[in-house]
Amino acid sequence: MDGALGGLRVIELGQAVSGPYCAKLFADYGADVIKVEPPKDGDVARRWGPFPHDEPHSEKSGLFFFLNTNKRGVTLDVTTGRGRDVLLQLVRQADVLIENEPPGRLQRFGLDFPVLSRANPNLVMISISPYGQTGPYSEWMGYDLNAFHLTGASSRYCGRPAEAPLELGTFAADFFGATTAAAWGLAAVYGRQNAGGGQHLDVSCAEAIAALFVGSQNIGAYAQDGKFDRRTGVGMSLGAPATILPCKDGHAWILALEAAQWNGLARVMGNPEWMQMEMFQEMLVRAQNADAMYPLIEQWTTEHSKWEIMDRCQAEGCPITAVFTVAEAAEHPHLQAREYLVELEHPALGRVRDLGAPFKLPASPGGPSRPAPLLGQHNAEVYGTLGMSADDRARLRQDRVI
Amino acid sequence: MAKALPLTGIRVANFGWVWAGPVVGQTLGFLGAEVYKIESRARIDLTRMLPPFAGGVRDPDRSLSNHAGWAGNGSVTLNLKKSEAQELARQLVGKCDVVIENFGPGAMAAMGLDYDALRARKPDLVMLSMPAAGLYGPLKNVRTYGLSLSSLTGLDSLTGYAGGPPVPFENAFADPFNGVMGAFAVLAALSYRDRTGKGQHIDYSQQEAVMQMVGPAFMDYTINGRVAGPKGNRHPLDAAAPHGVFPCAGQDRWISIAVTTEQEWNGLRAAMGDPLWAAAADFASVAQRVQNIDALHQRLAAWTRTFDDYELAHRLQRHGVAAAPVLNVADLLRDPHYRARGTFIEVQHPLGFHETIYGAYVKTSRTEPDVQPGPAMGRDNDVVFKRLLGMAEDRYRQLIEAQVIY
Repeated sequence: MDGALGGLRVIELGQAVSGPYCAKLFADYGADVIKVEPPKDGDVARRWGPFPHDEPHSEKSGLFFFLNTNKRGVTLDVTTGRGRDVLLQLVRQADVLIENEPPGRLQRFGLDFPVLSRANPNLVMISISPYGQTGPYSEWMGYDLNAFHLTGASSRYCGRPAEAPLELGTFAADFFGATTAAAWGLAAVYGRQNAGGGQHLDVSCAEAIAALFVGSQNIGAYAQDGKFDRRTGVGMSLGAPATILPCKDGHAWILALEAAQWNGLARVMGNPEWMQMEMFQEMLVRAQNADAMYPLIEQWTTEHSKWEIMDRCQAEGCPITAVFTVAEAAEHPHLQAREYLVELEHPALGRVRDLGAPFKLPASPGGPSRPAPLLGQHNAEVYGTLGMSADDRARLRQDRVI
Repeated sequence: MAKALPLTGIRVANFGWVWAGPVVGQTLGFLGAEVYKIESRARIDLTRMLPPFAGGVRDPDRSLSNHAGWAGNGSVTLNLKKSEAQELARQLVGKCDVVIENFGPGAMAAMGLDYDALRARKPDLVMLSMPAAGLYGPLKNVRTYGLSLSSLTGLDSLTGYAGGPPVPFENAFADPFNGVMGAFAVLAALSYRDRTGKGQHIDYSQQEAVMQMVGPAFMDYTINGRVAGPKGNRHPLDAAAPHGVFPCAGQDRWISIAVTTEQEWNGLRAAMGDPLWAAAADFASVAQRVQNIDALHQRLAAWTRTFDDYELAHRLQRHGVAAAPVLNVADLLRDPHYRARGTFIEVQHPLGFHETIYGAYVKTSRTEPDVQPGPAMGRDNDVVFKRLLGMAEDRYRQLIEAQVIY
């Protein structure tokens, strides 16, 4: 079946997570994405694993696999004059260029937006970086970790007060920035006629989170009242219970804020007397008395399975959920019933289970259907369409351009 | 300038509430779509009552965070408990390209606003439904809050100090993420509609979208059977060290430092003045540094703690090391980088006060949006009912009186 973005051609100069994930969203919904990698080492994600049995192999990185499904892969050294010419040829036939090079680097090779848009005035160029293309930190070195902690998200919301603020345990800033870039980038493509042509989008992973997440609920308050909050390590400060507590077999998110939810939790817990006390009758009051309350709830949770707690509380209208491990999420009957996971065959990794489409489009299904490309796998196919002969390709290969 | 924004001409009826749904509308609105949030005084959205309020006056039109999170949306008030209001909503959808909602499965159908009913008014409608766990499956009725939704994805099980229990992330990171991903979903479906003439009903499970962020740990599980736990600030795939947050001088001041290559490691050593400990065999390669990461981080923390975070970041950056201060909320507003990029803007609300919200967080070379604060309730009632739906003035007054338009 035709993908939603069928007919769109995307060139990706992506490394690691943010650029590749943005391009993957296009690829998984049907765009023809050509991933351009440096000839020798390819994308750095090829060296980051996870590898089967932890044995490094540039064609066996699980991260690279996850981020690059449905793409075609070519090798090209865009830092050389001839490599640059080939890239410009690719760009002339494309709708979108996605890149996450350090800001300024492409300009050094004569591949900045003014040059690219002269080659193709309809091109939408999406630049993703930790901090952005402009501003005093634009030339700083940065990774996901640095971007995430520059947003206020960790200081405000994650970690215990006297200890280090925390990232989420994944590439949270990269994923957020990549998704933001995909939405704005696709809109820029969709609206080219309105806008009168292509354009350049500058996405800072840090700025997207600082604005949409932290700024949304904190900046107006600070600007007006000069006060701000920090992480508590517990949960919500304005309502309780709202925290993660240990259970017999893991952890559960214990949330019972509204009166009906609190009463539902009480029924599940067998209506213990303490829950009727005045000091626990309203979510704000409960929050003020949280130190006294949490140990009492914990006594009960540690005696029960998180699944039992989730099932019984949900049945009573309480938004309490088990904290799924990665394995429990992956194997959950709900995701199986929805066929969220897919299986793909890869020449080096064999059969691999992968996460499926982030959302379901019934008329034009998305999701990974082809594995990530081997390094340079589609050179002949792609360069063939540029009118390059086998001899031309051999020469470029000899000179290490492709 | 005076170029049209990319989505000029696209009209959206947004039944989304709280945070995720309104951010879908906001994203499309910033990009030029005409977006009407449909809400009611019969059940005021809880984010309209989130303090603080402009000037301290408690009022659903004065919540500062609501004005930031809902900017880009318009507002139409309809009391959807009444059948006349439901009919007006269907009429409005008939004039729209897109419908957004993030209720639980079945809620829209109970109001006669399900996809089939709406498609009867607009055959090529794009409808985005984004319940917590999708439109079907055994968990479809699961109740969560935005901040606990991520517990269903494995993400919460990765957040915490290395080797310790999960530490709760204290706000709904999932909500704005789903808002932006939801906008991408709408745009994908609009692209398909324009090519084929066919609309569709998007089944957007917030669980599945957020679980994308668990991809790296999922791959380790699916390839090696390993189930990751909390990792602190370490590299998600243990491919770099040092990789953490280290204390600086002052209360709750920290710096993030990530070293992935030998060149960066040498830069860090030089910045520290080549201390003897850093030359030890224990730290001679990435693999060694990752293996001895606790000792490495201890050494590094002992060095960073006397420095000012900003000064140390500049110093490390001069040596080619990825380092940045860990900012708190107050820092965001005065940080030179965010100021230079105009991340936060002061705006005048039509009700007569100034407030600070976030502006266009993506910089576009051709179509910069003009960001205005989120709407007062019913701001667009006149335009929608009289101009768009052609309602006569006396009928309009009657429906207001009857608390249908309410």
